[in-house]
Amino acid sequence: MRRGSSKKSGQSNPSVNSSAADLFRSASSKANSKELERIDSLFYTYANGSSGLIDPEGIEALCADIEVDHTDLRILMLAWKMKAEEQGYFTLDEWRRGLKALRADTVSKLKKALPDLEKEVRRPSNFSDFYSYAFQYCLTEEKQKSIDIESICELLTLVLGSTFPTQVNLFVEYLKNQNDYKVVNMDQWMGFFRFCNEISFPSLSDYDPELAWPLVLDNFVEWLREKQK
Amino acid sequence: MSNQKKKHFQIEAFKHKVVMDPKYPDKTWKILEDAIHEIYNHNASGLSFEELYRNAYNMVLHKFGERLYSGLVATMTVHLKDIAQSIEAAQGGSFLEELNRKWNDHNKALQMIRDILMYMDRTYVPSARKTPVHELGLNLWRENVIYSSQIRTRLLNTLLELIHSERTGEVIDRGIMRNITKMLMDLGPSVYEHEFEKHFTNVSAEFYQVESQRFIECCDCGDYLKKAERRLNEEMDRVSHYLDPETEKKINKVVEEQMIENHMLRLIHMENSGLVNMLCDDKYEDLGRMYTLFRRVTDGLLKIREVMTSHIRESGKQLVTDPERLKDPVEFVQRLLDEKDKYDKIINLPFNNDKSFQNALNSSFEYFINLNPRSPEFISLFVDDKLRKGLKGVNEDDVEVTLDKVMMLFRYLQEKDVFEKYYKQHLAKRLLSGKTVSDDAERSLIVKLKTECGYQFTSKLEGMFTDMKTSQDTMQGFYASHPDLGDGPTLTVQVLTTGSWPTQSSITCNLPAEISALCEKFRSYYLGTHTGRRLSWQTNMGFADLKATFGKGQKHELNVSTYQMCVLMLFNNADKLSYKEIEQATEIPAPDLKRCLQSLALVKGRNVLRKEPMSKDVVEDDAFFVNDKFSSKLYKVKIGTVVAQKESEPEKQETRQRVEEDRKPQIEAAIVRIMKSRKQLDHNNLIAEVTKQLQSRFLANPTEVKKRIESLIERDFLERDDNDRKLYRYLA
Repeated sequence: MRRGSSKKSGQSNPSVNSSAADLFRSASSKANSKELERIDSLFYTYANGSSGLIDPEGIEALCADIEVDHTDLRILMLAWKMKAEEQGYFTLDEWRRGLKALRADTVSKLKKALPDLEKEVRRPSNFSDFYSYAFQYCLTEEKQKSIDIESICELLTLVLGSTFPTQVNLFVEYLKNQNDYKVVNMDQWMGFFRFCNEISFPSLSDYDPELAWPLVLDNFVEWLREKQK
Repeated sequence: MSNQKKKHFQIEAFKHKVVMDPKYPDKTWKILEDAIHEIYNHNASGLSFEELYRNAYNMVLHKFGERLYSGLVATMTVHLKDIAQSIEAAQGGSFLEELNRKWNDHNKALQMIRDILMYMDRTYVPSARKTPVHELGLNLWRENVIYSSQIRTRLLNTLLELIHSERTGEVIDRGIMRNITKMLMDLGPSVYEHEFEKHFTNVSAEFYQVESQRFIECCDCGDYLKKAERRLNEEMDRVSHYLDPETEKKINKVVEEQMIENHMLRLIHMENSGLVNMLCDDKYEDLGRMYTLFRRVTDGLLKIREVMTSHIRESGKQLVTDPERLKDPVEFVQRLLDEKDKYDKIINLPFNNDKSFQNALNSSFEYFINLNPRSPEFISLFVDDKLRKGLKGVNEDDVEVTLDKVMMLFRYLQEKDVFEKYYKQHLAKRLLSGKTVSDDAERSLIVKLKTECGYQFTSKLEGMFTDMKTSQDTMQGFYASHPDLGDGPTLTVQVLTTGSWPTQSSITCNLPAEISALCEKFRSYYLGTHTGRRLSWQTNMGFADLKATFGKGQKHELNVSTYQMCVLMLFNNADKLSYKEIEQATEIPAPDLKRCLQSLALVKGRNVLRKEPMSKDVVEDDAFFVNDKFSSKLYKVKIGTVVAQKESEPEKQETRQRVEEDRKPQIEAAIVRIMKSRKQLDHNNLIAEVTKQLQSRFLANPTEVKKRIESLIERDFLERDDNDRKLYRYLA
């Protein structure tokens, strides 16, 4: 906004106001660069000297500082905000992206930003994206398309456990007890999310296996119905 | 009048007025009235037609038509009333005769009267819009005679009674019946209908209701139908003899309803004589009768068809699930063919080749044949048996007939790909052991399969035939280029293209030295002309002819499998061999070796080896010797056979699994094909299209198709639409 008005004033009185604008710009950019500097230096306090990345150890240290357990969902949310690609590692770019968006350049600011971050993630428009991100984040090997049952159960509990506790608990139980599937892929992962959102529990009255639900959910519903008898 | 020249006489008009005699009309009418009396009294012969005609003519001319007409009406009415009385007075049987006679009289009289009054009929009647004489006569008869209270009811009852007696077997005077009904019809169509026909149909309905009830209690189905048919014929006969033709369809309807429609189900389901019994006992005549009769009523044929269908399905189901029957596959299939023949005949003859019945038969067969998952295998075994020996000596046309019948069963199969798998296996064994009865028959069947299922189905089978032929040529070439081998063992090699032949695991064993060397020569010869190929010996599939000399000098030619040959040849260099030694020398896998030794040592009549100890099973510690005491009536002794047999349980599972595995890529190919052309399609439609495409090979399981779709999504061939979860999109 300022910039706009300063442009105008720049036309009428170029010499005086442009320097003001420049001053401001340089001030704000100074502030910006100061912020960036702080963000960067914060990065390097956690980063591994040889790799230039924050590695799992560094993340653990970070977690200790912001007083959040490293298995806490909020770390995953932070990773989402950073658009971090590799699980367990943050690059400088990712770090910058995340912290800048959160306007946090110190540990305390970061800590304070967490509740808002959580609210932001839980907004329905974002949560679906976050949910699919969570899956992709866990694909560690190149060309890996699916995740083993054990890990899926943990991830599911972590990500959806508070929102849909009943469904998640039952689905985890089912997955652990069945033998047809050893892994779960993205399609099935997303399918379960839609399932929680669209199908009424525990009646399951509006579930129609004729529709294109992933087969694993057809089997899950059958298992549930058997159980309910 | 000619215009003559007036000469002597002139014709002049009357000089005085002509005054009509006032009594003229009465006098003239009296003449005519008397005449009518005479006519009715059968005294017409004394009358002069010309005079009467003239009188009538004059009356009309002088404008007394009205008088004449009303006089006629009055006179006729009087006479008819008299007539009615005389008819009423008639007793019993003569009632109808009297009526008939009087009717004839009346008609004759009427004719004469009409002739006399013809001028009036032609001039006065139309202009005064009166009823013409003839019609008037009929109407007056109707009003005064038929509708007379005494006559009306009596007439109807008499007619109905007579018909009833005829129905109960008595003979009646049909002539008079004819005349009476004709009379009613002449009096006007509604007269016949109201005075007779309506009541006739009602009474008949009652009659047949009672009769059908009686019959159904005491007759069996076949008899009942005969009786019903007879009654129907009777009624038709009755109509043609003395009723109006229009009555035919009405009375038919009555009989059909009472005798057939009302008892349809009871007849069909009658114990010991109903439809099912007729079908089982091939009672063509009864079935034909039932068909013809039931066709006349609504839903008659439908009911027959329903019961027939459920019977065929039920008995078919029992047939295919009966464990006794399943012991012999060839018998099993023969039984199916016999059943089909039986019903084909039934539908052909008594059921008039009715297409809807044929369809019902087909759908029933399709239903129960597929209840048994081994049907494809068994049908292939049946074919195998026929092509091995069953069709030996049979002429070409009969061969075709048999193969066509097999094809018909094949068409009913839902899992045609399972049949293909087994057929390939059995064909391979037939070809390799040279045990086919007729090459032409084999090829003929392949052609039929191709016509039915397309080129893809049979391309591999044809490949097998080609391999056999090519191998022959190769062998010729081999021996031509190696003339020095003439004295050694004769080798025949069949080179099989992998992919055309059923998959086998190639475990080689150690061949005897002479054979091995020969094989090597062949290998180099072959690879010399076909570079880039790889040959692997299938020692578990070959056979050999050995010349053997036993202890007492008896010579035999032994036909054995390759494995057996390897074992026997060892005894050229040793008298005694332990199991372990044989195993080591031949490297035949243990289960095959055990079976091989069993067939050489433990089968009576074929025991060219002796085993110690003499126990039933072959175990590792056994020792083997040549059986010097071996004897057989035949010079050529056959020991190893590679006959196609019904699969054991584990083999069956394996084949089933392979079929399932083969289906997966086919399903995926179908999905991809469909999605590629449609670009996007919803779930249910995709499943439907895939199923349709694969129908000619097998029945696709929707769950399996869904699994394949998900697999394709995972591999990025398809994606789900973001907004509509049911929609799939093709990813190019």
